[in-house]
Amino acid sequence: QVSELVQFLLVKDQKKIPIKRADILKNVIREYRDAYSEIVNKAGRTLQEVFGLQLVEIDTKRHTYILINNLRRAEGEYLCRDKEKEKMGLLLVILSFIFMKGNSVKDSALWEFLHLLRVYPGKQHRVFGDVRKLVMEEFVRQKYLETTPIPLTDPPEFKYQWGPRAEKETSKKDVLTFVAKIQGKDPTFWASQYSEAGA
Amino acid sequence: ENREAMLNSKSNRLTEALEEANRLFDGVCRAREAALDAQFLVIASNIGKEKANELHSEMSAFDSTAFAEDLLTFMGINRTEVEETDDSEDVPGGFLPSDAWQTMGEEALKYFRRAPTFHYMMGSFKSEPPVPKQRIERQKKASRGKAERAMPAQLKKMEESHQEATEKEVERILRILQTHFENDPNTPISFFDFVIDPNSFARTVENMFHVSFLIRDGLAKIKLDEDELPIIEPTKPSGGGEEDSRAGAGARNQVVISLDQKEWK
Repeated sequence: QVSELVQFLLVKDQKKIPIKRADILKNVIREYRDAYSEIVNKAGRTLQEVFGLQLVEIDTKRHTYILINNLRRAEGEYLCRDKEKEKMGLLLVILSFIFMKGNSVKDSALWEFLHLLRVYPGKQHRVFGDVRKLVMEEFVRQKYLETTPIPLTDPPEFKYQWGPRAEKETSKKDVLTFVAKIQGKDPTFWASQYSEAGA
Repeated sequence: ENREAMLNSKSNRLTEALEEANRLFDGVCRAREAALDAQFLVIASNIGKEKANELHSEMSAFDSTAFAEDLLTFMGINRTEVEETDDSEDVPGGFLPSDAWQTMGEEALKYFRRAPTFHYMMGSFKSEPPVPKQRIERQKKASRGKAERAMPAQLKKMEESHQEATEKEVERILRILQTHFENDPNTPISFFDFVIDPNSFARTVENMFHVSFLIRDGLAKIKLDEDELPIIEPTKPSGGGEEDSRAGAGARNQVVISLDQKEWK
């Protein structure tokens, strides 16, 4: 049962969409419902010890899980597909912008910023295709970003924040380090962000 | 309206609006007007909240324009060449190479603890959205398992009946042979006439197969007639001794008959 669950989780994680407990119960555990937590714990341990991956429950109410890497990425070793790499590039840029602007930005502000990088919501991008879909749907579904409507706005506006996956896979400290590197400054240059990052 | 103007941290428009609302409220004597006033307060407080947020983020001012330019530099922008795009009016000139986002991505990966996506090396099923795909896979596996378990049980049954079928066929053929002989004794039947099914090669082979049992068991015998063609006739049940010797003699002869489809035709 445990190895079935491990395989199930690994395959389900391909699209980086969080895995629901309901799916686990239905497809893997089935009749062994009572042993659910035991099986999940054991699977978690296997993932950790064999693959160096961590099974994290990001929503304790709706019971959804993601897989993250326990190990820091080592320099220069990547077998990563280009599409994935490019998306992560865009994502990091967005996460940095959100953090540096106080953890929450309006969608109009975000698109204004991406405009400067030649990324437009209404225009098909050479690399990302439908960027609006990528940012507002894919990244949100994968829990990298969280979007909430701003009340009493017409036409409705949204605000963007970090999603639970972003919180787990990276940190404010890492992101601040990135920004500092890009701008050739010391992270302490931005005092409040620096203290918030707990660095 | 004028939301942006009110949000501007340097403006006092929000305070002014609140003060005016206070004055107006003194003149209110109908419920509807009070309701409007309440609505106004809700909007005002939302704006107030947003203003407070903006204040916080301005504490360590972050220049996003400079950040964007530094990002472009990192991605390898060439500012000496001008890119031929139609929106180049509001974008600073410069040629962004096609691997710009690759470069960004390479750097970005270092900051994420992302589980590498798991793929079967040899591939298994066609790639489709994972949610339905997983369910189909699981169901297929489950149903295949059950089907296999049912199979051995079925096969066993078939095997048994197969044996009986052969015996029955052999008996049937013997009876046909005997009947024929009863009607017309002393006229052996041509072997080929007996076994060949003009419509089916497979049936012919089966017939030969069944006849061979009869021969083996000594219930029929094959001889060559004057034309050197084989004929078949049932053996007459006779005295024990004779039969034994004949059966004994018969048993030592083996014949291999080959027949292919062309010959059969």
